[in-house]
Amino acid sequence: MDRNQLAKWFQAPTKMAHKYSLHAVYFCTGCGIIEVPPVITARWDAERFGVIPTATPRHANLFLITGYVSVKTLRAIIRTYEQMPEPKFTVGFGSCPINGGMYWDSYNTIKHLDRYIPVDGWIAGCMPRPEAIFVAVTHLWTLIDKDMADGYKRYRTNYAAYRANQERALGELEWPPLFPMERGR
Amino acid sequence: MARIHWRYGPPLYQPLIDILRLFTQRGVSHGRLFDLGMVLSLAGSLVVVLFLPFGGISPMSGSGGLLVVLYMMLLMPLGIALSGGEAANPNASIGISRKLILAMGYEVPLLLILLAVMTHYGSISIAEIVSAQRRTGASIASVPLVLSGIAYVLIMPAMLGVRPFEVVQAPQEISSGPMAEYGGAYLALATVQHALSAFIAISLFVNLLWGGASNPAVFFLKMLVVFVLVLFVNAAFPRLRVEQAVRYLWRWPSLIAFIGLILVVVVGR
Amino acid sequence: MNLELLLSVAFGGSLLTYVLGRISSRLRDGLAVLISLALVAMVASLYGRTLGGGSYASFLGVPLVLRVGALSWFFAIATAALGSLSVIFSLSYMKGRERTSFYYSMMLLVNAAMLGVVFSGDLLSFFIFWEVMSWSTFLLISYNRGPAVAAGLKYIVMSIIGSMAMLVGTLSLYAAYGTLDIAELTGLVAFASTGYQVFLLVIFGIAFGVKNAVMPLHTWLPDAYAEAPSPFTAVLSGMLTRMGVYGFLLIIFVIVGASRHLHAGSGVPTFNRVLAWLGAVTIVIPTFIAMLQNDAKKLLAWHGIGQGGYMIVGIAFGTSLGVAGGIFHTLNHAIYIVLLFMSVAAVQYRTGGERDLNSLGGLIKKMPIAFVGGLLGISGLIGVPLTNGFVSKWLIYKTLILGGSPFLAFAALIGTWGTILSVYKFLHNMFLGQLPEKYRDVQQSPASMKLPMIVLSSAILLFGVLPGLPLRVINRIIVSFGFESLDVSLWGIASETGALSTVNIFAALLVGCVLVWLVFRAGARVVPVGQEDSYAAGAAVPVDRYHYTVSYYAPLFRMIAPFLKDFCDTFYRWLAGWVGALCSALKRIYTGYVGDYAMYIVVFLAALIFVQIMWGPW
Repeated sequence: MDRNQLAKWFQAPTKMAHKYSLHAVYFCTGCGIIEVPPVITARWDAERFGVIPTATPRHANLFLITGYVSVKTLRAIIRTYEQMPEPKFTVGFGSCPINGGMYWDSYNTIKHLDRYIPVDGWIAGCMPRPEAIFVAVTHLWTLIDKDMADGYKRYRTNYAAYRANQERALGELEWPPLFPMERGR
Repeated sequence: MARIHWRYGPPLYQPLIDILRLFTQRGVSHGRLFDLGMVLSLAGSLVVVLFLPFGGISPMSGSGGLLVVLYMMLLMPLGIALSGGEAANPNASIGISRKLILAMGYEVPLLLILLAVMTHYGSISIAEIVSAQRRTGASIASVPLVLSGIAYVLIMPAMLGVRPFEVVQAPQEISSGPMAEYGGAYLALATVQHALSAFIAISLFVNLLWGGASNPAVFFLKMLVVFVLVLFVNAAFPRLRVEQAVRYLWRWPSLIAFIGLILVVVVGR
Repeated sequence: MNLELLLSVAFGGSLLTYVLGRISSRLRDGLAVLISLALVAMVASLYGRTLGGGSYASFLGVPLVLRVGALSWFFAIATAALGSLSVIFSLSYMKGRERTSFYYSMMLLVNAAMLGVVFSGDLLSFFIFWEVMSWSTFLLISYNRGPAVAAGLKYIVMSIIGSMAMLVGTLSLYAAYGTLDIAELTGLVAFASTGYQVFLLVIFGIAFGVKNAVMPLHTWLPDAYAEAPSPFTAVLSGMLTRMGVYGFLLIIFVIVGASRHLHAGSGVPTFNRVLAWLGAVTIVIPTFIAMLQNDAKKLLAWHGIGQGGYMIVGIAFGTSLGVAGGIFHTLNHAIYIVLLFMSVAAVQYRTGGERDLNSLGGLIKKMPIAFVGGLLGISGLIGVPLTNGFVSKWLIYKTLILGGSPFLAFAALIGTWGTILSVYKFLHNMFLGQLPEKYRDVQQSPASMKLPMIVLSSAILLFGVLPGLPLRVINRIIVSFGFESLDVSLWGIASETGALSTVNIFAALLVGCVLVWLVFRAGARVVPVGQEDSYAAGAAVPVDRYHYTVSYYAPLFRMIAPFLKDFCDTFYRWLAGWVGALCSALKRIYTGYVGDYAMYIVVFLAALIFVQIMWGPW
């Protein structure tokens, strides 16, 4: 960890701050959430990495999609993601968000989460162990350092495509478009 | 606190990192009152800090004394209440109502304590009370005021908003209460304001009941001792419901502070 | 410029308004506003002059005198100014209602009667104007038919009981001294026996206690305020109940001259102490009852009772700081309670009479001026520093703490916290939170409503930052009572036990706000969103149901509600019922049968003859 290297703090304070203050929205998306309480409590102590859970998306900058995403949950996930302040990072936790995982042939789940909200990193496993979350967090740090964790920027530029995908999966959406889209999807 | 839990925990300067990160995030605003309420709350806290002597430094001591401090302390929850109310989120509204109810809860013993101190020293100026203590010893060691001191220690977790009185924040119940809609810079300011109100509560205790200090270093040390004590309480307790909290605050600390006030009046006669 | 002219203009204006209203409503509105403003100008021109003396009429051989002094001028200018602002406010509020000429003429009549009360120089004209004030208030409270009539009836019965007590006191004074002139009485009563002085204080205290709603004589107030038309409620709470405070000041300090007796034995100081404790009870209990209210006007009404307690505590405590604080609080309370009732009235006007706090919300976006008025009003009510309420409360607290009554100070301070809770509920349920669907098209308050609210809001801030302006006048009042004068500067009070300097606080707060604002702007720019984009756990915000108003302080209610039932009201109703039953029983004498009446006459004559034969008294 380069948290105590003062020179880096002066060079890129924003990046360092986001790296060492990744607060995750405590949204229990799917079955993988069972792995998160051990991570944030005393045994596997995520707080030493700067990761703590927050109650509302307004306070958070990390979104862990833990486990499979059903169609009903997708609505809540999109809404929560849009309510997070930028810059924000998403990590798909488990195999289900990657390619459907165990539910690859279900009528009710989303197979490729990346089409609906931008995802910065994936953790494979069913379920991954708590240490895998730490590997993901440290990998996210390297991505932030290299400016490659730009999911939120992709969301902004490709919003029309994302919204089209969302409407195809969910039907009519109750919330207005987050960013102004040019006409002609 | 992490050390109390037998784990490593974040570094001591983690709150600074959090605040820096929050300032670089683009929060949402629900209207002008949302911004202004937060600004008012934090400005109020800063002005109260100016009124409290910190070691030997006391910028604004001649403008009304303890009563002004008591009243400026009202600006803090009021500002947050106004901006949280503007958020149009019932989580925030419930949080604010709980915050005000809890404040009513600890104000009863706090007022009894402060009145005992003011009556004992016959003055409403904090600087005078501090210098009087330098002559006659810390208040908490003097017979009439030891009860007030005990009562203040009992209500200290309530004033700081830590467990067992964390009902205002209550992340699991009402999504952090009044701060439910705060993102980015607002949350940073709210965190700073929360820290300042903790500073004010502890500094009032040290100044009025523990003798103040003649230089900032000793003052800071005294504050640290009190803070760590409260932290131990925080780590050990669960959260009380708001009516349990108010019932507790209106029972034992109020009784002790009330007896303390009667003692002060009787002794002073 | 003399007082007879002023009163003639006031009373004549009221009559003329009614007459003119028969002809044209626009003329009548204009005349009402003109008369009110003219009264303000005339009273203002009397500043600093002490007129007194010549009787303008005489009644049954008792000369009626008018006079003006520092105390009278203070109350008169407050009455005239707030009355004129309420009349301006009523211009839009009463548009399209029935019997508006009656309303305007009654408003002006109440105004005139209040001016008469403060300008009267002898107790008989005081009584006459007091009675005019009482029954014109009753007529105006019952303006909206229906439950208002019962409320008005409760008010007038209690007020008449008080006035009868005052009449007894006046008659006893006339019997003892042969004069009712206040200036002469001041010299005479000071040498009366302590028992007589206490008797006077108690009997007049009943009258003024009913008017000022000191517990336990307060039960008429909530219903009366809630049912009266809102601009008139503003006048009611602002000045009418404070006529009770004027009465207390008159009887305690002017006539009995308590400032000279305060440290001599028992009697008058005991009365003061009892009164101070009654005032303390009046502060605490009604403020907590206000928290339980769901009707906006009833909530403010209970606060009116509570703040009256502050004035009584300050006055009864008897030090120069205390009396100054009490009198100043009268003015301050008048300003912000009028402002608060005006903001409620504006909301009522635009939402079609809605004043139930459980169903309003979010109106800050639609009615910003009403909101600012409400916000400044509640800031003053709480006593936030830099509002005028803070200065008067600071004075009262300081004298209570340093005068050795920490328990009274505790009651007063706890009253402040109760106030914070209940007025925040008021503000939140009306203006903050989610805007209900049915109020989406509510418009802003009309201009004639905005003007008084803006004037009053600025007055709150002005008197808060520069409290020396009214404090100079108040200083003259307390000097005339015989206390030592306070060291008043433009921005505060200096005394040997701690000074108050509002300019310092103001400057510090301003600098703090600017600093914080700059830091806030230095962060990342924020995204403005509407109320539909609120956190709702990932779901869409439910329209009309995402607002927390009902049972706003539910945990606290469960704890304290059993202690806060209105025992006094129940007691009075029981008493009234008992008297009613007694009178109904007595009514059975009137059988309507002439033969019975003839027999009553015969029986009475026979009894008289019997008595004459047996004992021969005649």
